[in-house]
Amino acid sequence: MLRTFVCAFVFIAICSTPFAMAAEDPAEQRHELMEDVGEAAKPLGEMLKAEREFDAATAMKSFQVMQDVAAVIGDLFPEGSYVGGEEKAKETVWSDREGFNQKLAEFSDALAVAMAADPQSLEALEPAAGNVFKVCKSCHEEYRTPGE
Amino acid sequence: MWRKPILLALLLAAGFFWLTRPQTPGSHDLANLTPDVANGELVFHAASCAACHGEDLRGGLELASPFGLFRVPNISPDAETGIGGWTLGEFHNAMQQGVSPAGRHYYPAFPYTSYARMTAQDVADLKAYIDQQTPVQNLVAGHELAFPWNIRRGIGLWKRRYLDPSLRSLLADDADPVLSRGRYLAEGAGHCTECHTARDRFGGILRQRWLAGAPSLDGEGAAPNITPHADGLAAWSLKDITYYLEKGFTPDFDTVGGSMVKVQENLARLPAGDLEALAVYLKSLPPQSNN
Repeated sequence: MLRTFVCAFVFIAICSTPFAMAAEDPAEQRHELMEDVGEAAKPLGEMLKAEREFDAATAMKSFQVMQDVAAVIGDLFPEGSYVGGEEKAKETVWSDREGFNQKLAEFSDALAVAMAADPQSLEALEPAAGNVFKVCKSCHEEYRTPGE
Repeated sequence: MWRKPILLALLLAAGFFWLTRPQTPGSHDLANLTPDVANGELVFHAASCAACHGEDLRGGLELASPFGLFRVPNISPDAETGIGGWTLGEFHNAMQQGVSPAGRHYYPAFPYTSYARMTAQDVADLKAYIDQQTPVQNLVAGHELAFPWNIRRGIGLWKRRYLDPSLRSLLADDADPVLSRGRYLAEGAGHCTECHTARDRFGGILRQRWLAGAPSLDGEGAAPNITPHADGLAAWSLKDITYYLEKGFTPDFDTVGGSMVKVQENLARLPAGDLEALAVYLKSLPPQSNN
């Protein structure tokens, strides 16, 4: 259901911007999607940090959002769409495309494992979310610039 | 008629050689130090040696900078291609004066500008720890730098201008020991300033912009402002900072990225008290905007 929602959201987002601009600005789109991932990561992180009570449905929802993004975001880094400057996608995304795709695949895999585990307790959430976060970090190490 | 200019040129050359001669410290009481390997391991992680030299210290990482390409040397205790067989005095000179055993200047891509603030004991302990690692035979090629940066002697002048082992943040004598520890870790072994402070066009740290962020030396992105300003860590609590250093997550649960990943993973191996000390230090800095 959420997948449909996210797809519909992406579709509306694309349609509601002037078409030429949308086609030319994948940077904007991938940024939006990564923001969604960040929003989804927050409740997971808060649970792990014991700042929020564990809730199985919320955790699952976060994984679902991330998985939906993982399925589409690879296409938003087309050849020649490197921006640099404010945009944090590093040139390595394009110069080492295979490695980047590998990270995206690892992201999807970690999410599939986490969702299959269907964690019902904080103890079960820790390894599941931990593996997902580990992929986030290792991809950000190679393919995203540091910065605020 | 030519005598004067020739004499002047000779004098200038002599002056250059005198001014740029690699300095090695006088008689330190290094011989009296008893190395503590366990502390050396802590220093090793605090200094993030492995972030550049590699987990097995084999070196070889290439660092592109505005001055050219630096290749990180092998610091494993291999006698031929690493630093095996160095005396403590030689190691001390390298770490604190930026001078090799052969008496040549090191480029400040090796952050001896910060390591110069470490205690002789910590340097000795670090050496003892490195000596215990497995030697790795790996010959690393030299740097590829453009003129005038390729003239090593020039670093002698650079050091006269920029090598300043004094601590940046002045503290009262009775300052909080936690803050004092944080300052020592951050300004010494931790060498935070090497990435997080902007540099002038000769690559010297702009001390008045201390830790207020800087463009990445490899050209992409920036090392963020880590002073307690709205542009930096103002919104971060002490706990947020220690959590970031320990786990690699910002308060928004974004992850640490880029070259900070390895640094964070090394710092995560320090005792909790040291991470807290780093946080206290960062929060004590004068807040500065990004500009």
